[in-house]
Amino acid sequence: MAPHDLRRPFKRAAISDQQRRRELSLQRQAQNRRDAQHQARFLAHTILSLQNDSTEPEQE
Amino acid sequence: IASIEVPRKEWPDLVGLLLANMTRADSPVSLKQATLETLGYVCEEISHEDLVQDEVNAVLTAVVQGMNVSEENSEVRLAAARALYNALEFAQTNFANEIERNYIMKVICDAALAKETEIRQAAFECLVAIASTYYEVLEPYMQRIFELTSNAVKTDEEAVALQAVEFWSSICDEELEIQDYEVPESGDSVASHSHFIQKALPTLVPMLLETLLKQDEDQDQEDGIWNLAMAGGTCLGLVARTVGDAVVPLVMPFVEINISKSDWRSQEAATYAFGSILEGPSTEKLSPMVNAALDFLLNAMKDENSHVKDTTAWTLSRIFELLHSPATGFSVITPANLQKILGVLLESIKDAPHVAEKVCGAIYFLAQGYEDAGPSSTLLTPYLPDILNSLIITADRTDCSDSKLRSSAYETLNEVVRCSNLSETSQIIAKLLPAIMSKLEQTLNLQIVSSDDREKQGDLQASLCGVLQVIIQKLSSADETKPIILQVADQIMMLFLNVFACRSSTVHEEAMLAIGALAYATGPEFGKYMQEFYKYLEMGLQNFEEYQVCAISVGVVGDICRALDDKVLPYCDGIMTLLLKDLASSELHRSVKPPIFSCFGDIALAIGDQFEKYVSYALPMMQSASEVCAQMDNNDEEMIDYGNQLRRSIFEAYSGILQGFKNSKAELMLPHAPHLLQFIELVARDVHRDESVTKAAVAVLGDLADSLGSNVKMLFKDCASCSELLGECLRSDDEQLKETATWTQGMIGRAYSVCG
Repeated sequence: MAPHDLRRPFKRAAISDQQRRRELSLQRQAQNRRDAQHQARFLAHTILSLQNDSTEPEQE
Repeated sequence: IASIEVPRKEWPDLVGLLLANMTRADSPVSLKQATLETLGYVCEEISHEDLVQDEVNAVLTAVVQGMNVSEENSEVRLAAARALYNALEFAQTNFANEIERNYIMKVICDAALAKETEIRQAAFECLVAIASTYYEVLEPYMQRIFELTSNAVKTDEEAVALQAVEFWSSICDEELEIQDYEVPESGDSVASHSHFIQKALPTLVPMLLETLLKQDEDQDQEDGIWNLAMAGGTCLGLVARTVGDAVVPLVMPFVEINISKSDWRSQEAATYAFGSILEGPSTEKLSPMVNAALDFLLNAMKDENSHVKDTTAWTLSRIFELLHSPATGFSVITPANLQKILGVLLESIKDAPHVAEKVCGAIYFLAQGYEDAGPSSTLLTPYLPDILNSLIITADRTDCSDSKLRSSAYETLNEVVRCSNLSETSQIIAKLLPAIMSKLEQTLNLQIVSSDDREKQGDLQASLCGVLQVIIQKLSSADETKPIILQVADQIMMLFLNVFACRSSTVHEEAMLAIGALAYATGPEFGKYMQEFYKYLEMGLQNFEEYQVCAISVGVVGDICRALDDKVLPYCDGIMTLLLKDLASSELHRSVKPPIFSCFGDIALAIGDQFEKYVSYALPMMQSASEVCAQMDNNDEEMIDYGNQLRRSIFEAYSGILQGFKNSKAELMLPHAPHLLQFIELVARDVHRDESVTKAAVAVLGDLADSLGSNVKMLFKDCASCSELLGECLRSDDEQLKETATWTQGMIGRAYSVCG
């Protein structure tokens, strides 16, 4: 039977920078992806607005 | 053998056979002992669902009887106590019954007073397991358990005392978990909270404080030590987190009395007690004491005893972690004391390796506090060259037996760079870049004669790639500093390719992370590295075993797609093949699968209509994953979280593909539109839907309308949940969500307006 392991982090190593680097990379990538997709939408939106502006200049 | 056969119902008479050994009057003691040990092993290996309740009852009866005080043979009693530890998971029905529970608890508590140490230890192990498994029924037994644990901590042998402390740590774990799920305003919680720690506090805290004085002479120098002082301090930290302010008045007299004594044990214990209670109590309660103690602690870094210095440095790191947050307007560090603090830290970082490591932790949190701290972040800038210099010298130290101090020094350096005020520090960081590159280059020429050398080289390369990643990311985050990276991009990439050639998986991950940052910085220029880099990317995408490497590689594919746009096309057949294999693999960790779907979106957005050839492979994968989402267990927190990730990533895949096809091949997605809408409906109705999933869902709804226009207007009509979702988003307070929803509404409106 496996002995019960008692050890807990002691004066725990405060730093887990590798995990932080991973997370920050993921955040950056997610942000870049959102920006790229948003840009694709925004271009469509601009075209749409231009179309709307030309057809319905008084639109509310 | 039982662990294989019992779950398959291929050994139905095993339990009966074993139990017969226990009930037969003429069974020799050795047979009983062996039988109990076997029952323990069997219980450890199988699930309680593999046995019928009658069998569970019979096993428990046999085990508890063997553990009873009436059992004369101590070997049998010990084997029974150890078997019970493994059988506790099986005893849910029995613990729900008060009479049976009382009996089991009585037998365990009696065994906790057995004359044999090992039996007492095994009995306390059972109590520890019961604290986590049966917290909610413990109330009637707590007085007795308190007496038992208290006596054990004070007078019993260390092995037993450690279990007694662990019992209270486990109770803290349970109460912290209940508090985590508390409904914030009402104070109600899903599970019942018995406030055992609060109730025991006046006697529990003094008991724990007493343990702090029982340090080992060499506890800070050697790994693998676990003693009563360490367990007691850890438990005290958990108690502080559980009860908050109430712990402070019970601990401070101990701190005040012991800190001024002349022996190291008293001083270290006082400091450890103080450091242990810094998380949990309110800032208001702690800050006057911490302000008053700071100078004393800084002076204690010059103490002659290394345990005192070690714990003091750790306490300083806790202070900076928990009470230094200029961004929110509160910090114990002021312009007036910063110079002294840094003076002490940069002197103490030269101390023994274990002290220096804690000092690195203190600098790490000191720097972290200044991240996004507005004008306050300027305070650290003048000290930056000295801090970076000290950290590099520390990383170069040769007086440590392992690479822990070196990694701590580099990781601290990373945080200092990350949190610095870029407009003021770009020149300093720019100077650091060639220094780190040159260190990485030197590692390539190290003489490797043993596997130990290889491991050391790998650790060092991993640390240095980590630093380079942080510097690249920092300097490429502003247009003014990005050229610093571009000027040396070729050399950096050359170094990374050479590091890959050394073949170690930790390094592979670190270099991959750094390359992702470099691809983002260089943009289309990254194309020139692709031919040589591609083989390592392939290796990363195939690394099922070290799934983090695989996950990072998937993320880097996304970075490369955004950097290269359609120039990534020549590599897409290979990449898509590997990504599809990854998705289909049952071996690969599931956390890598959502990023792969997001990556499909990245590829499609980059190569546009060239994604056509992958549709027949990618779309079925996306559809079957969305069906998996529909069948997920909504009672499991972890699965809910995973489900949200998977949903968001599937939407991101659809968005990228729809946007990529929009201009020339939109109709390719027409056959897939009903399925996507069904999926959006499913998600719209999901009560556990996360905000980021909502954003992705409403965005993909707009992409669908934008891309397919009037072709899908009939489908929208049947999608009531989609309209509700859109309405919900339009009413949201989140400006970004509202903006996307408004755009989606416009796209749907346009789909309806085209052709009537």
